[in-house]
Amino acid sequence: MSIVAHLPRRVLSLTEEEAASPPVMELTGRRRATSEERTVAETIYAEFRADPRHREFVLGCLNCGECTTGCPAARFYDFSPREMLQIAQNGDATTLWDAMQEKIWACCQCYTCNMRCRFGNDIAGIISVMRELSVIHGLESTRKVLAPFGRSLTLLMTVGTQVSSDMIQPDFFRDWGPFATGSDKVWDVGTDVMRRAIPSDVLHTTRSSWEVSVQTSLELFRIYEETGVLDMLRGLDPDLTEMLVDIIEERREEFEEARDRFRTELAGMHGPVATFMG
Amino acid sequence: MLSASEIRKVVEERTQRQKGTGKKVVDVREEMEHLEAKGEIIIHRIRPENRPVSASTLFGWTKRIPTDRLWHHKSCGQCGNIPGYPASLLWLMNETGRSYLNEPHQTSCTAWNYHGTATSNPVALAAVAARNFHRAYETDHFPLIHCGTSYGDYKEMRKLLVENATVRTKVRDVLRGMGRELVLPEEIVHYSEWVHAMTPELLARQKHSVRGIVATVHEPCHYYKMVPEDAVYDENVYAGQRPAVPSGILMSLGATVADYSTWYDCCGFGFRHILSEREFSRSFANLRKIRPMVDEAHSDVAITSDTGCVTTLDKSQWIGKAHGQPYMLPVLADVQFAALALGAHPYKIAQVHWHAASAEALMTKMGIDWSTAKAEFREYLKALKNGQAPELLHPAHPEIETYFAVNKGQVLPEEAPATAPAEIVANGGGGHPR
Ligand code: SF4
Ligand code: SF4
Repeated sequence: MSIVAHLPRRVLSLTEEEAASPPVMELTGRRRATSEERTVAETIYAEFRADPRHREFVLGCLNCGECTTGCPAARFYDFSPREMLQIAQNGDATTLWDAMQEKIWACCQCYTCNMRCRFGNDIAGIISVMRELSVIHGLESTRKVLAPFGRSLTLLMTVGTQVSSDMIQPDFFRDWGPFATGSDKVWDVGTDVMRRAIPSDVLHTTRSSWEVSVQTSLELFRIYEETGVLDMLRGLDPDLTEMLVDIIEERREEFEEARDRFRTELAGMHGPVATFMG
Repeated sequence: MLSASEIRKVVEERTQRQKGTGKKVVDVREEMEHLEAKGEIIIHRIRPENRPVSASTLFGWTKRIPTDRLWHHKSCGQCGNIPGYPASLLWLMNETGRSYLNEPHQTSCTAWNYHGTATSNPVALAAVAARNFHRAYETDHFPLIHCGTSYGDYKEMRKLLVENATVRTKVRDVLRGMGRELVLPEEIVHYSEWVHAMTPELLARQKHSVRGIVATVHEPCHYYKMVPEDAVYDENVYAGQRPAVPSGILMSLGATVADYSTWYDCCGFGFRHILSEREFSRSFANLRKIRPMVDEAHSDVAITSDTGCVTTLDKSQWIGKAHGQPYMLPVLADVQFAALALGAHPYKIAQVHWHAASAEALMTKMGIDWSTAKAEFREYLKALKNGQAPELLHPAHPEIETYFAVNKGQVLPEEAPATAPAEIVANGGGGHPR
């Protein structure tokens, strides 16, 4: 069955009310937290400080600003890696909570700050820890930030690649212009033929970056199940998660049917095929 | 400014100091030997069949680059929207008679998603890495990583698996559940390092002169800013003060590599931004990278060696016209540029038509008859549409591999059924050892 048929055309589910209510900012730039938020913020802060990576990534800070000088995000957003590191090192539950509403998502994860920091701080890494916590706790602001990722997450979770040719179409990427998809008016043969003109059969698919075998998909999903990724996603979007489970269930059936069909060829082999899925 | 050897000395002293305190920057390869001796991991070693070539890293360590019998760890961005990237690499391997596997039993590293949305965690990333490592190991082919982010991520994950016993145990358990073992490669190797190691052989096959071509290099951040100690540096390239790849191959082919003030900046990809906040990506790419490349360096082409960088720098330019910045500087991967210089078909192999900024003026400057090639390609597309079998660089995989990761290495019994190669039109022949 086709994975692409399951790819959501919608964004991760946001209610109308959520979409219409951006976070309230005070003039100082600090967001006013509700008492419920304060409790969550305290929990997040405790988890953040207890994460073993905190001790490893945050080593000290001169406040020299070297990190910010080279930061691409600092040029375009109200954001600074120096501030992030200071919050990680000296901040409290409120400052951490505030940073997690929006600022952490400005980072490009380019690691320039890490390269420049004389203390050897892993600033990009500590920002990732903050982001992970914002996903785990299903913060509303995070759901809004990640709303456009439903389709790429589906691909990632079910076949383990991030983009596909049927995603990179002028409708989705209009600012890339008419010549960016390999299937424009100049050639006029459609994406399927353009893909078959790539000299490797593994790349002929339009539904993923490359063809991924069913066994490989199932192994990947098992990793997601056993390492808590599926649970993380469930907290963020339960509907999407259930759809992913359904897709994988169908792939499991496909795998079993194929095992019957290829029984003779598989006979005598050992290794993953023989042991996988019991 | 300190010279390259003075920098090395400082770094060496610091490494020794940190080794003494047990903190950071130890050579992870030494720790791997200890873990293997204790039966905790298996090291996927580079063997003579891999025909390794030695290179030097930022810390002056020796890194062995395998050049043969390789397992292609493809990149989702390259394969998804710049397919001339992997195709050029496979073609160069066929031309130089190197063997490889390019199979459907690989996932991406999933780090694009992690760095974009954080909907993952280090244990999952390490398990994904280790699953791919084991798959390469059981086929007896050494992994060659196409993507800068996968390369950086895999170095981080290898380090994590070596340094953290809890993560190691968890990942080992997950792998066992699917009949796999915890295998770590002796080296994590980026494809541009293969290009670096293969430079003499590539030069021997050069067909088009690139003298007079001015190239500007964008160094992919995750190649050298993430786990910087084992990125490849060479005293002959920028006096060892910038990574040797991909500048080295361009200089060797005869192009002029021109400097520009923002060489150190990222491309603007941003992981999250390229998908959901493209106004940032395209502004950054145009203002901080393309404009200085053109205005300061008078570049004919921008060359880089990572998925996200080619994508962002190339595809962000079209919209620049709306802001009076009609640069349209061609952006190619080092392997596409090298393949063109070695005579690869611009459309069938380098697949330049997937790029937003046209490479035609550049090809004219390189002495390539692209208009004849374009007409041929148009005919080829028509034939494909009418049902002609596609021309492939390696045998098509048999149907069974659509479902199962059938073993091809030491795990597979001798008498295993032979796979049926489909239509092959190999350029230079010899890629695939099935
Ligand atoms: S990793 Fe993030 S914080 Fe650090 S320099 Fe890059 S964009 Fe700035
Ligand atoms: S470069 Fe390091 S020490 Fe300087 S401000 Fe940034 S985090 Fe602090």
